Amino acid sequence: MKTETLRGTAVTARVGLALGVAVAVCFVTGLISHFIQHPQPWFFWPTRPVWLYRVTQGLHVISGIAAIPLIIVKLWSVWPKLFERPIIGGLVRQIERLSILVLVGSMLFQLSTGLMNIAQWYAFKFFFTTSHYAMAYVAAGAVLVHIGVKLPVIRRALGESVDDLGNPPVADGLTRRTVLRGTWLAVALATVVTAGQTIPLLRKVSVLAPRSGQGPQGVPINRTAIAAGVLRSARSPDYRLTLTNGSTTRAFSLADLQAMPQATHRLPIACVEGWSVEAEWTGVVLADLVAAVGGSRDSDVRMISLEPPGPYSRTVLPARHARDDQTLIALKLNGQPLDLDHGYPCRLIAPTRPGVLQTKWLSRIEVVP
Amino acid sequence: MRSVLIALGIAVGAYGAVLLWENPPVIIMRILVWALVGIVLHDLVFAPVCVALGFAARRLIPGKWWPPIAVAAFCSVVLVFLAIPVYGKPGMRPDNMTVLDRNYPLGLWISLAAVWACVPLYLSWTYWRASRPGRNPQDSARSR
Repeated sequence: MKTETLRGTAVTARVGLALGVAVAVCFVTGLISHFIQHPQPWFFWPTRPVWLYRVTQGLHVISGIAAIPLIIVKLWSVWPKLFERPIIGGLVRQIERLSILVLVGSMLFQLSTGLMNIAQWYAFKFFFTTSHYAMAYVAAGAVLVHIGVKLPVIRRALGESVDDLGNPPVADGLTRRTVLRGTWLAVALATVVTAGQTIPLLRKVSVLAPRSGQGPQGVPINRTAIAAGVLRSARSPDYRLTLTNGSTTRAFSLADLQAMPQATHRLPIACVEGWSVEAEWTGVVLADLVAAVGGSRDSDVRMISLEPPGPYSRTVLPARHARDDQTLIALKLNGQPLDLDHGYPCRLIAPTRPGVLQTKWLSRIEVVP
Repeated sequence: MRSVLIALGIAVGAYGAVLLWENPPVIIMRILVWALVGIVLHDLVFAPVCVALGFAARRLIPGKWWPPIAVAAFCSVVLVFLAIPVYGKPGMRPDNMTVLDRNYPLGLWISLAAVWACVPLYLSWTYWRASRPGRNPQDSARSR
């Protein structure tokens, strides 16, 4: 069987459908993560189940990686069209070619920058989060236009049999079914070798995952105490956690916090980069601390780190999460005092929040009026 | 339906373009260059190399072996792609040993070996199936 007959809309449409699903999952989960980090009044993000963000962000990276073999096959299946005559053609043809250029360019941009970001490899000299976010709309828009343009072709191709009806099946050679099976196999393989950074069962076989899931106290780190510049301030004997609510201010030493009622919860820490682990966190319930300064249960709460001002040194925790009884100012991780890299003397850990917003090395908690 | 999809797509894409436009010109250029380089690398390097390799392999390898070898070759390409950002640990920083903390060269070679080990296994299985008495390989191919 010749390659020309292996390629065909029956293969393109089926792989394209799978790619479309992967892109849709990526886009939606990416938007969820974006709106958690940049809250909008209309956006609702629940506190249960506690592993919700772990699943959505894990899916974001898993579906993005699954899209890599899919896009390779998709592009292979249509590559000869690149050289179809007329090369230039009329205005309509040029517009169609331009839309494909935008589609392929934005998709390759998203997949390459995403894959590099999870390995923290910033060879590109632009800011990852904003460009990945903006390009996501370009890619999603281009996919919608492409589906709109190709809808009749897609419908017809999905209705056709995969087998090339014009030729008798070749018993030993390549068939379109081989192409499709090979594609699904490669998707499964790509998932297995990377998804262990969020699915514990796959940890041992995910040989290409950027994270093994190991780290101090059994939890990996993204920002270290050295990188945050808190080596001295976090270990200072003068350390105090300051709570404010309007004019009311109270300062807690580490001993004060340890003397308060402690709660222990199993909560995942889930990074925007797609890795996650579950751990046992022990500390003071945030709502108790807020109550100690007379804060309302309906107030948002601002978390400020000892880390010098930067994009992630302070975050605002929405009231729904701030009053949740599983939201802790953690002092212990898996039964031991927090490692310096995990945010000693104390850190925020809340359900369904991205790891980057679980502020470490807390110095100040402000009830937002 | 089609015009709705196209109009929605243009609107969503335009919103993305507006967001990109908020960057300084030098950053916009870098972003566009990155996207275009991706296309050029695929269309004019990766795809032709694959075609050339496929063309050569077909003349060297018996037809019966093509399916498992093509699938194994494709799986290898995917593994190599996934290995690029981790193999030499270009993103590693000395202060954080919890990221890029695997032996990636070993992992890549083991996974490649596992993929290629499946080729003789698959071929022996198909030979065994074809050699069973009372089975015509043409029939089994059709009934798949």
